[in-house]
Amino acid sequence: MKKHMILIIALFGLGSYALGQNKSLLYDFSEIPQSLMVNPGVQSDFKWYAGVPALSHLSFQVGSSGLSANTLFANDGLDFNDKVRDRLIFGMSPNDELSGNYQIELLNIGFRGRDTGNLYSAGIYHEGDAIGYWFKDYAILAFEGNADRVGQRFDLGHLKTRGDVLNVFHFGVNHQWKRNVTIGARAKIYSSIASFDSSKNKGFFVTTEGQNNLLASTLDADLKWRTSGIFDLRAAEEDGTIASTVLKKGFFGGNLGLGFDLGFTYNLNEQTVITGSLLDLGFIYHTKDVMSYSLKGNATVEGVEIILPDALNDPNADFWQELVDEVEQFIPFEDNNKNYITFRPTKLYASIRYDFGEQVPPKGNCDCGPYATLGSFRAKYANSFGGQLYMINRPRGPQAALSAFYLRRLGNVMALKTTYTIDKFSYTNVGLGLNLQAGPVNLYVMADNLLGYGNIANSNYASFQLGLNIISWGKN
Amino acid sequence: MSGTLDKYPTMKLIKEIKLFCCVFSALLFSCSDSLNFDQADTLVAEPEIEASILYIEAPERIINEAAGTDFFVQDFNFDAFSSDFFAERVVEGTVAYVIENTTSKQLEVTVEFLDESGTTLDSEVFMIDPAPAAPLEREILYGGIGRNLDIVTNTSSIRVSAENVLGDTTSTSNLPDPKVILKSKGKFKLSVI
Repeated sequence: MKKHMILIIALFGLGSYALGQNKSLLYDFSEIPQSLMVNPGVQSDFKWYAGVPALSHLSFQVGSSGLSANTLFANDGLDFNDKVRDRLIFGMSPNDELSGNYQIELLNIGFRGRDTGNLYSAGIYHEGDAIGYWFKDYAILAFEGNADRVGQRFDLGHLKTRGDVLNVFHFGVNHQWKRNVTIGARAKIYSSIASFDSSKNKGFFVTTEGQNNLLASTLDADLKWRTSGIFDLRAAEEDGTIASTVLKKGFFGGNLGLGFDLGFTYNLNEQTVITGSLLDLGFIYHTKDVMSYSLKGNATVEGVEIILPDALNDPNADFWQELVDEVEQFIPFEDNNKNYITFRPTKLYASIRYDFGEQVPPKGNCDCGPYATLGSFRAKYANSFGGQLYMINRPRGPQAALSAFYLRRLGNVMALKTTYTIDKFSYTNVGLGLNLQAGPVNLYVMADNLLGYGNIANSNYASFQLGLNIISWGKN
Repeated sequence: MSGTLDKYPTMKLIKEIKLFCCVFSALLFSCSDSLNFDQADTLVAEPEIEASILYIEAPERIINEAAGTDFFVQDFNFDAFSSDFFAERVVEGTVAYVIENTTSKQLEVTVEFLDESGTTLDSEVFMIDPAPAAPLEREILYGGIGRNLDIVTNTSSIRVSAENVLGDTTSTSNLPDPKVILKSKGKFKLSVI
């Protein structure tokens, strides 16, 4: 029980500030078809590609800003309760968060149309993502209580969490608009399997000196907890039909939503390129298996109050029950099945890249000279370096990460990309990605925060991506 | 601009792959400090919660109008202590009383904790001097070295009785709005984990 409790607490402590879905290694790695998924407007030269079903893109990311496993569970001889109190409860701030994400691509194909400037892509991927901020004041109340804390407001807004498990069906077009401009867009249909959201909580609890009695307890609450799909899954688990229920919900039987991705690549000159993309500009409309709870209102109580002689007018008065009823009246706890909308966590990428060194022989139909015309693909250079910006919309506002990268192409066989990512919480995130091309077979593997593997127990962030595709440039 | 590379030299490729493997292996060389997850078994969470319990206010007029010396006796339902959440988790605590008397009477106030059948589990008697007198403050400890914790967990109602000790029903305090006030609060430690 205690282990479970600690794990839950630790999970909420394991927060990666905005890094949870940052695919800085994959971004603009144009040898990999899945780079289209982080920028629909990436420069690509595939004639067609097909991801190996369920293996074309696997990504798992989790991180921590507040603490690592070592913070609490190091075999250091320190009192565990002191560590929990000092490092977890009081050591973390309400801005510390959990942010985890996984994606499993079930299907992904791409092909060029008659107009070779258009690359169409379509597919399905399964995704789970969740975020939970450290509910500091709730933890203080749970571990320390409110005694001897007269005047201290416990902020109920510290509870901010949301999460989704869903399938995403997508169809996109990548279009070489001009010789130096490639644009892309993707439409998405979200089929939510389960969702929870409690990200707009407000209010406080405070104990003050009473006007009449010794203490006054005030609760001013505006809390909401919204869920969809969860009760069906629970029921399915009991019935032994969980797999079919998940499948059904994931394939348009769940709550549906709509979203868009947009992106572009623009060559400022032959070797300098800027890119940008906006992902998951969308929403899910929850109408099925919806269960929401709310606690809204305010009340101040000073215990059972009896003021004579009026209080004796009714000899059968139950002052305790009246007090309870009064609190419930002023701060009703309610549940409902009303439909609601949640917005997807929108991501923004931007980059500037400088290519240099030898030109790599083209795989596609390349007219590589400076006077090449529309419909041809640009040559790639052996080296690229640049910077990338990543932002994501979170319940506590946008969060950003900045990366510097270097990409090295070894012929058409292999390409390496390394990134150094920095944000306000991490200064040591070095990532490395490898893309291997063996004939039509494309394999890539990527990992972030490699320095953290030196002592995984002390690591605050880990991410891993890999995938397998078959690619054709029309020559093989 | 560099010349086009038609074929990447094999030896160079192998060399670069070797370099990559070395760097990647070094970076990925994963190890971990020794962790002890059994520490979680020692976790104790015992928050102390604090809130007011009972407030009673009686003006001197009530005392003077009473037929006998016992001018007030009343049982108050109080389920907070016997609720499952509280009763199953409480470890120890204190009940604090403050009695202010601005009447001209010497008073005896008794607070009793009663169980569901009305049996007195505990009682506390307060002798209060007539005004002007400092507020009478008292803390009663339950659990630990204090009184039996079962008193609290079995308490279903609170009886408050007040007696006009000398039976004086004519005098009136010259203080403004004379009254007797009983204030109380509880501070309890709960074992959550």
